[in-house]
Amino acid sequence: MEKNSVVKNIALKLLYIVIFILIWQAIVSIFHIKEFVLPSPFQVLGRLFIPEQAKQYHWILHISATLNVILSAFIVSIVLGILLAILICWSKLFSDIIMPIIVLFNSLPKIAFTPLFLIWFGYGFLPNLLIAFLVAFFPIVLNTCTGLMAVDDDLLDLVNYLGASKWQLFFKIRIPNSLPYIFAGIKISVTMCVMGTIVGEFVAAEKGLGYLLRDAQAFIDMPTMFCCLILLSVIGLSLFELVKFLEKKCMPWNNKEVIND
Amino acid sequence: MTKKTTFNRIEIVWNYILKIVKKNYRPVLVILGFFLIWELIVRIFNISELVLPSPSCALDHLFNAQPDANYNWGVHIGVTIKEFVLGFLFTAVFGIFIAIIVVWSKTMEHVLMPAFVFINSLPIIALAPIILLWLGYGLKTNILIAFLCGFFPVVINTIAGLESVEDDLLDLVNYLGASKFQLFTKIRIPNALPYIFSGLKICTTMSVVGAIVGEFIASDKGLGYIIINSQYTMDTPPIFSALMVISVAGGGMYMIVSFIEHLIMPWMPLSEKK
Repeated sequence: MEKNSVVKNIALKLLYIVIFILIWQAIVSIFHIKEFVLPSPFQVLGRLFIPEQAKQYHWILHISATLNVILSAFIVSIVLGILLAILICWSKLFSDIIMPIIVLFNSLPKIAFTPLFLIWFGYGFLPNLLIAFLVAFFPIVLNTCTGLMAVDDDLLDLVNYLGASKWQLFFKIRIPNSLPYIFAGIKISVTMCVMGTIVGEFVAAEKGLGYLLRDAQAFIDMPTMFCCLILLSVIGLSLFELVKFLEKKCMPWNNKEVIND
Repeated sequence: MTKKTTFNRIEIVWNYILKIVKKNYRPVLVILGFFLIWELIVRIFNISELVLPSPSCALDHLFNAQPDANYNWGVHIGVTIKEFVLGFLFTAVFGIFIAIIVVWSKTMEHVLMPAFVFINSLPIIALAPIILLWLGYGLKTNILIAFLCGFFPVVINTIAGLESVEDDLLDLVNYLGASKFQLFTKIRIPNALPYIFSGLKICTTMSVVGAIVGEFIASDKGLGYIIINSQYTMDTPPIFSALMVISVAGGGMYMIVSFIEHLIMPWMPLSEKK
């Protein structure tokens, strides 16, 4: 039953994509739109799949560079984010000192820091990693904190009464309770992480899809730009679906969505 | 009667300010401490302003003309604020409007909602160079980028809010013979307000990001332009001045939105997080 609905869901999505491509092609061929304004989907896909064209662009190099940054930043921000959130909830003093700074940074447009990292660390992997990390980190910290704090008071009383240690309180009660919040935070930060990486590569990189996008822009090479756009979307989307899949695996009991503020 | 309502309104505003002050004085102290420590570290270790300028140095660049790089701050700040505020307003108006249309017709919702959720998970910012080629340099490009960045969160949140009405309430109102128009103005839209405001709050940050990235990619005015230009000349202090202004503008917009939220829905408790 459930498998059926999943298949149906995927089929529906594929149908949307096919319809979208058809409309796109129809618009291009009916109105005779020039390639440098809006390339047809076949020209775009040609850049990727026709070997003679694809050779010029070193797709593998750029895709792996981008994936490398996104995945490293994503993993680092999840691990550090959850650790920091646990520390914040562990000690009241620490939370009083660090929480305002985290809230402050969370509300800053961190993307604007990109050129600063370029000055500090030069071109390449490190500044991009830092930017993506900085953008993805704070939603995870804040969401995990909310989750760790959102335990039923009655439950806390009960466990305290039974003489649980602080460790037990965290591992048996607080952390399992915060899982839905953590995943909600991770879902926000996946999208943010991809966005941070792209902007980082716009400004401070010599390889990667964001760099290629800017490079192609200089030559008004629209098909390549659309190719980059599609590849970046595929990367973002597959990561998002991966997180959703993991969420289901980690918490098969949970089907409520956490709404974010 | 009118006097009383004015008085009430003043009281609401006053209470709001009191609550904000009471809630926030400690975090504000911590943040001031953060800047103080930053200033002290720069002074004690004598760090070059090219690596890390002190906050006072950044402010100095903002308010006093400098011999090496003299930016016309008023113009640049004006341009960025214009882009960001217009982008935000377009997003708010169109986002809410489109969400209402979508929920109005069930078929539209079935077709469009999955598409919106899909697009929302895409990296919209990657469209920026393409939009630039289509529209050319200038204000409208950056407004459009800011608009696109904030649009989908607002639409999705508003739709979720309009949809999350209790079934019993709908049954009751239908039974009483409410028109569809009444259903929206009396039930669905008031119910959606918290969702709309949380969408708008996300949107404030996203519009700033959109406007700044637009200026990174192509512009000859604006704070994003100053940041990129100073990066080329390795002149760090103006970057920090620009970052400060951007943060204040983004934070200010966020506070305005929360304030309006509180005026419209005085019955909601102040959000716990901020």
